[in-house]
Amino acid sequence: MSRARIVSAVVIAATTWAPLSAAAKPPSAKNLEFFERRGRPLLVRRCYKCHSKKSKPIEGGLRLDRSTAIRRGGDSGPAIVEGRPNASRLIEAVRYTNAKLQMPPRSKLPPAEIAILVEWVRLGAALPRDRAGDKPQSVRDMKTAREFWSFQPLQPVTAPRSTRADSWARGRIDHFIHAGLKQHDLAPSAEADRRTLVRRLSFDLLGLPPTSGQVDRFITDTRPDAYEHLVDVFLASPHHGEHWARGWLDLARYSDTTASWLKSTAGAWRYRDWVVEAINSDLPFDEFVRRQLAADQVPGLPIEQRRALGFLGLSPTYWKEPRLAPGLIKVVVAEEWEERIDTIGRTFLGLTLACARCHDHKFDPVNQADYYALAGVLASTRLFDQPLLPADRANVVRDADRRIDKLERAVTQVSLRIPAPGDKQQQIARLKARIEQIKKSTPDFDAPRTHSLEDASLFVLADGQDMTRLEYRLGEVRDLAIHQRGNPSSLGPVVPRRFLEVLSQGKIRPFRNGSGRLELANALVDSRQGGSLTARVIVNRIWREHFGHGLVTTPSNFGFQGERPSHPELLEDLAGRFIDNGWSLKWLHRELVLSATYRQASRSAGPGRTIDPDNRWLGRMNRRRLSIEAWRDAMLTASGELDMALGGPARTVDNPKHRRRTLYSTINRRELDTMLRLYDFPSPTGHSPKRVRTITPLQQLFVLNSPFIIRQSALIASRIPGGPRPRIAVDRLHRLLFDRTAGPGEIQTAVEFLAAAGPRGWPQYIQVLLGSNEFVFVD
Amino acid sequence: MIARMGGGLGAVALAGAVQSAQGPHFQPRARRVIQLFMNGGPYQADLFDPKPLLHKYAGQRPEAVKLRTERQTAGLMPSPFRYRRHGESGLEISDLMPNLSRHSDRLCVIRSLHTDNPNHGPALLQINNGTISPTAPSMGSWLSYGLGTENENLPGYVVLCPGRPVRFSVLWTSAFLPAEHQGTYINHKSLDPKQMIPYLRNAHLDRPTQARQLKLMQAVNRRHLDRRGGDPLLAARLKSMETAFRMQFAATDAFDLSRESKQVREAYGTREFGNGCLLARRLVERGVRFVQVYYGNGQPWDTHHSHNARAASLCRDIDRPIAALLDDLAGSGLLEDTLVVWGGEFGRTPTTDLSEGKGTDGRDHNHYGFTMWLAGGGARGGQAYGATDDFGFQAVTDKVHVHDLHATILHLMGLDHERLTYRYAGRDFRLTDVHGNVVHELLE
Repeated sequence: MSRARIVSAVVIAATTWAPLSAAAKPPSAKNLEFFERRGRPLLVRRCYKCHSKKSKPIEGGLRLDRSTAIRRGGDSGPAIVEGRPNASRLIEAVRYTNAKLQMPPRSKLPPAEIAILVEWVRLGAALPRDRAGDKPQSVRDMKTAREFWSFQPLQPVTAPRSTRADSWARGRIDHFIHAGLKQHDLAPSAEADRRTLVRRLSFDLLGLPPTSGQVDRFITDTRPDAYEHLVDVFLASPHHGEHWARGWLDLARYSDTTASWLKSTAGAWRYRDWVVEAINSDLPFDEFVRRQLAADQVPGLPIEQRRALGFLGLSPTYWKEPRLAPGLIKVVVAEEWEERIDTIGRTFLGLTLACARCHDHKFDPVNQADYYALAGVLASTRLFDQPLLPADRANVVRDADRRIDKLERAVTQVSLRIPAPGDKQQQIARLKARIEQIKKSTPDFDAPRTHSLEDASLFVLADGQDMTRLEYRLGEVRDLAIHQRGNPSSLGPVVPRRFLEVLSQGKIRPFRNGSGRLELANALVDSRQGGSLTARVIVNRIWREHFGHGLVTTPSNFGFQGERPSHPELLEDLAGRFIDNGWSLKWLHRELVLSATYRQASRSAGPGRTIDPDNRWLGRMNRRRLSIEAWRDAMLTASGELDMALGGPARTVDNPKHRRRTLYSTINRRELDTMLRLYDFPSPTGHSPKRVRTITPLQQLFVLNSPFIIRQSALIASRIPGGPRPRIAVDRLHRLLFDRTAGPGEIQTAVEFLAAAGPRGWPQYIQVLLGSNEFVFVD
Repeated sequence: MIARMGGGLGAVALAGAVQSAQGPHFQPRARRVIQLFMNGGPYQADLFDPKPLLHKYAGQRPEAVKLRTERQTAGLMPSPFRYRRHGESGLEISDLMPNLSRHSDRLCVIRSLHTDNPNHGPALLQINNGTISPTAPSMGSWLSYGLGTENENLPGYVVLCPGRPVRFSVLWTSAFLPAEHQGTYINHKSLDPKQMIPYLRNAHLDRPTQARQLKLMQAVNRRHLDRRGGDPLLAARLKSMETAFRMQFAATDAFDLSRESKQVREAYGTREFGNGCLLARRLVERGVRFVQVYYGNGQPWDTHHSHNARAASLCRDIDRPIAALLDDLAGSGLLEDTLVVWGGEFGRTPTTDLSEGKGTDGRDHNHYGFTMWLAGGGARGGQAYGATDDFGFQAVTDKVHVHDLHATILHLMGLDHERLTYRYAGRDFRLTDVHGNVVHELLE
């Protein structure tokens, strides 16, 4: 693209001697007629598809259906120079003389048609005056936009009250839910039995089945606050963080492996473990956000907290072939920024900011300037592997890293240089030896590392005639120019780094502190900026995990295209109180699971079945299928194999020696494990707002045939032998797997099956129960 | 259609017909696709796009070929292979494809394709997923999402490769579409069906034993369901368990090449690509929507050196199997509504690649102009559409971008590429992003 610009600049320079434009005079009737009879029909036929009001998108920003637009031109400047065909880009394009600018793109126009356009421009490019009514789009009115429900600051809400609700409600939540039910002529369901409640709580708070001791104790606990005690036990468990971390890692597109060419030695699992620890210690959510974006800039944090930066430190990176032209590499870099902005926008704010990369957001008050203001933060941030060492020792290692980077670039250059130097192999060997020497001689070079961030600005530069290199300027930051139509070679005005306009009150201040990552993080949780929205989004996510669907059913889209909340006041109330309670997630969990709403039975009955089949008004609890993690963990628990150790490196899920929780399975961004993929584990190539639960035959093949499930069945069979008294064994099995006794009909079915199947039938029977709906779903 | 299905599968297939998510939007010309993927990128002028001027300018580097590709290239290198005209159409095909030439009147050759990036990764993503970043669903996933499946006992989208193509599973990802639309990758290096599909067969139980186990499973689940007063999700899982049970046998049959006669095996040859073509035929016969056959492990067509010798041997390997596949599809009538697509992620340069040392006959990647062909399924055979420049470097006449190809393939499948959308991250995504035009000249 830059080459095309140079070419056209030369053309223009070479033709400056041409007579002055004929456009100063009003166009003659004859010339206008020529345009209307010969020129315009040609433009309509050949160009309007991509260059008129109706085009989506308007290619190159160029419209050819309005006179003012033709004169103004597109992203790359005026389309015509009146009277001078040779200086007009439009003519250059249709003549196909410039390889980078050929229009129409499918094939060259017939010579006669080109001649018409040339003649029209030569005659002064006569154009009629535009008719009124086709005004350019007005600048979006931010004041109106801020009136949208999710952009408003949180306000205190009064809970609805009624005497009937009072007798049922256990907390504030229930009054809102009751009012919603009443409005739809519905009533809440009865409370679930204690066995159901303890299973539900255990899977929801820990992702594990309850122990038989916990079940028995809870069923016989006569204290009035037995349920509260149980909730507190679960919330205090270190396994709570393991379960809830996984939900966060879906949003963060966590992967244990980064791109192969990065040769990273850092352990991604350190970020995963940080998330687990943060949840277990109930790190306030605003601080949880702050550290993931800017732990390196929050004053006073110990170095090990840099692990939090894995949120962006583990971002997908795309290959940048050094032999390609800078223009192509800039596109790749822009794709990376887009993915990161998308993840930040949807994870924290529930806003689809990436839509504004190529044009102002079509629905939300987010414009291109907002997008490039944030992209500037990312363009000023580098991903790197931070040694987990005190600063002075880390600096020594980082200095070695930089020398190695330089040498590795030299290796690339030597290996790609044409013609290759005669002693190419020797040169490379020498460079590699020096790299090895630095690695060996640098103290702490092999220290543990974590995927981290630092302020450094990225430039894509030509490297000689035929190569491209990336240059990071450490400690430097940069503001980006708007990429017109998303094209990094077609630049508009530069935008200072700053937060979103729609979420900023008063005068909007550019970021001043380095890349601005800390300022961005602060803006996300500041109640005068993004804080209200961020609180709504995370409250809704936690709600969704407990109740099966969100108050807002589009958890990562709180914009105009997102769904509106089913219970708007409830969401406002919860989000407001969440902030008042110090952004405590454990407070939030407690608030939700203590509600009468949560404690309802899940059986679908009564008028709700027809009035509210999707159970939007929560007249019962939603039955939910276990995630693959919880299901696998439950099987390992039943077989006695589960190793409950916390943290550390991952193992592949199909490794028979992998007996730890599924959280500790290797997630490979490029190649997701078959078992995880079959059960709706999200692709870690991008942010996943929610797991889409599918039910497919390939999943059931896993139940029927996988070595894993066959092995677990055999292990359980050795714990509870079938033997000569099958009735007792069947009952023990039901207690182990379902926390209940077996009914007479169930025992009868089992006995008949075992009689027909013979001695090998017992593990087959166990396998059926492990794959049964009762084991896989939670009531 | 049903009558053609082997092994008594017809009834099952009908019972298992799944409602599609969106389409078709209009009467389709093709109901299924076989894509023969020459990973690495074949050189168009060796096969379907003759460039006699290369001989005249051999070794020279005229202004028109000073185009930047991935690597540095030098002078023009003519293709040593001879062309002849074939069939009633007189379509020009080189002598590298003597058997395929019999089908010249069926081939709709597109000589004017172009794509955005001369690097394997982005180009593979563009031709499979429509965009250069690995975040979009593949074409097969879009087809599965848009049209559903014709046979619930088999995956709707199957990817065959003897080994692993470069970039691997992202090329058949469903990305943000529901996971059931993901391609099922099958490494057919081993021809044992049990090794091809994950968890397909039980290593310990015979069929009657497993049938008894399934009966128990359904009894247990039905009792559970009855106690809960019905629940569509519980019921769906019950039904899906029965389908899985049948799938074990249906899929084993579909993937079992030993059921083919000796003559058929000989016609396809018993090398890996031939096996892939034969498997593809068996799968489309059973209603699989989209089958991709990758030529081989890695990127075998990426001939940066020793190009001529390797091109000759690669073509020997694909010529007979493709001809046999077209023979079979035409013979059974399936070609009427089965679209066959041949090509790679880009083409190669008419100039020699300098990167592997001077004097070798290598060719670099070429995204400016390359050839693919379509056959059957409503594609207009016996024509060469579009043109590259005199040296075969850039598409210049009737250019067809990959987006246009995608729009055209969807069109043949009865889908409007602008209406096949999925709402994600705040906007409606399409295979063709915001681009693409159906190339009507390619249609019958």
